[in-house]
Amino acid sequence: MGVLWSLLFLAVPVLGVATFAVAPAFDIWLPKDVSEHGKSIDGLFMFILWLTGAVFVATEGAMFWFLWKYDAAKAKGPATYIHGSHTLEVVWTILPAGILLFLAIYQMNTWADVKMRRPAMAPTVEVMGRQFEWQLRYPGRDGMLGTPDDLFLVNDMHVPVDEDILVQLKSMDVLHSFFLPNLRIKQDAVPGMKIPVWFKATEIGQFDIVCAELCGWGHYKMKGQVTIESRADFDRWLEEMYAKQEATQPEAIVQVE
Amino acid sequence: MFIMMPPFLYLARDWAHRSPWLCRAFGGAFLVAIAVGCSPTPPASFRLNMVEATKQHLTPQQEQQVSTVLLAMFGTPDEPVVLAETGLDEAKLRLAAGPVRSDIVGRKNGLYREHCAHCHGITGDGLGPTAAFLNPYPRDYRPGIFKFKSTERADKPTHADLQRILHNGIAGTSMPSFALLSNVQIEALIEYLQYLSMRGETELSLMRAFFELDDDAAGKLPETREFLVNETLATVVEKWKGAADAQIPVPQMPADIDMVDSIAKGRALFYGDKANCVKCHGVTGLGDGQANDYDDWNKAIVEIDKELKSGEQRAQEASTAGMSPDELAEYRTQTAWLEKFSHVLDGDALKPRTIPPRNLRQGIYRGGRRPLDLYYRIHAGINGAPMPAAKGTVPPEEIWHIVNYIRSLPYDFDGELGADRPLVAHDRL
Repeated sequence: MGVLWSLLFLAVPVLGVATFAVAPAFDIWLPKDVSEHGKSIDGLFMFILWLTGAVFVATEGAMFWFLWKYDAAKAKGPATYIHGSHTLEVVWTILPAGILLFLAIYQMNTWADVKMRRPAMAPTVEVMGRQFEWQLRYPGRDGMLGTPDDLFLVNDMHVPVDEDILVQLKSMDVLHSFFLPNLRIKQDAVPGMKIPVWFKATEIGQFDIVCAELCGWGHYKMKGQVTIESRADFDRWLEEMYAKQEATQPEAIVQVE
Repeated sequence: MFIMMPPFLYLARDWAHRSPWLCRAFGGAFLVAIAVGCSPTPPASFRLNMVEATKQHLTPQQEQQVSTVLLAMFGTPDEPVVLAETGLDEAKLRLAAGPVRSDIVGRKNGLYREHCAHCHGITGDGLGPTAAFLNPYPRDYRPGIFKFKSTERADKPTHADLQRILHNGIAGTSMPSFALLSNVQIEALIEYLQYLSMRGETELSLMRAFFELDDDAAGKLPETREFLVNETLATVVEKWKGAADAQIPVPQMPADIDMVDSIAKGRALFYGDKANCVKCHGVTGLGDGQANDYDDWNKAIVEIDKELKSGEQRAQEASTAGMSPDELAEYRTQTAWLEKFSHVLDGDALKPRTIPPRNLRQGIYRGGRRPLDLYYRIHAGINGAPMPAAKGTVPPEEIWHIVNYIRSLPYDFDGELGADRPLVAHDRL
């Protein structure tokens, strides 16, 4: 019986580690990172994963070892009781405390990059969370929001590549969370607050915008798309959308099949 | 340990002792239930338009006849069928109809129920489970009235109009954007919406047709192709087919237009007698003019409600003592009808709400913010809403002045309101 139990306990670290090992092959690992600051966030994630992974394996290994070694079937004589080990207690208190302290200091620079060192610029776009869509407002040619040349769009966000992007995040109704998985951005949108969010995209492509805060019955539908494109394409797109918004004549009817 | 056991377990233990075979049979049935899963949800069905049926004093047999006829002409929400006369594409409908599922090639089916039904209802009656919590209420497609379109007031929207609404959503309401759905999916939903609307309109005209029946028809509609398809359905379909040709012609806004001058002219029209926008949208443009009107959908309920109240009043005041047997029978039918109607209203109608005129200083435009959209709104008015058409009273070129004035209002920082000026778009920066 003791052998079975100890092998079951051994299966936990083995399967646990195996899950992580095969995850990238099944495409259930972190989504592709296309942001500048993402590397340091992913680096922190991997660092903490390795650290906790090592502790996890060691702990589970110890549990297996004790079950295996002190199997009742093989035991000769009664168990001995000890009062405790002062040295051990000090070690397992100070060591994790030291690790936590180290992590707290080690991540500070990344935190500051993502949440504190805001680029000095006017917002590239205003994102307004609303049940259940992302409303976008681009400042137009004058670079200022709240003027007659603003461009209004829904769910279809475009940003230029390799440039600082400053998003002004708002919510019209309830808490939402503006989540760009590929850009390693996740920020709550709070009614009544204008929250700055910034990033720099490094690759051209189309990626998801999702809501990461349960915001109501249609939360699952609150999905948008961010298109990262060259500056020239971005400017052309802005002009095209603005021309559409200012249309005074109906578009030629195009039959879409 | 036994104290913690819930009562039904005591029972089970008892049974197990007394009759082991019974226990085994129950256990077996339980296991089968787990293996099979919960019983499948019952097939979805269309709801009869009970408000109209009751209003038209239809008998249960007549209601049954309408249901049967509609079933034959339109099928069920899971299995829609369409007659060739509707011009609808059944393949598209099938993509939108039925429960949410993926077909054999992994294509999403049941789009209407995934995206629309929770507000607009399975029947398209605007009575989905979330409808009561929304303001404004979701659209009821059954009367076939649509607000935001490029056609004249009484006409149906064009295909492109419906595409725009699905693509952009309706700002200021709970209708979200479906811009990220594929074209195929959008087309399927548009087809399904037209299907629901045609079905609803057919239902309405069938229910109203009982009123015009001859005495020798014995209260039954003729179930002939001539009447059902060529007369009733064709009238409904014709309006949809005519939409593309009913587009409002829009004169070119002069390229060299003097904006300041145009806005001033638009302002004069806004406050003037001809357009008289000020009556409802208010002297401030805040939508604080006359605000006690209802839209068509709510107005119908309000009127019925009034009729019910006065009927109940009369019934209470009437004295049954001096009535002849005929009068008494009539009185009883009437009170039974009143009672039935108030029950129907409880379940099949939402509490009526007034429709506030739009606040023009918010910069939120439900039917779209293009100058073109505003032109259509002013030219044709808004079908189903109190907004009247300026067509005929204001010449087309002058409508552009009103459009320009309206579009300047959200950015009118130092306008005539002075210190009383409301919050405009700039303040929300």
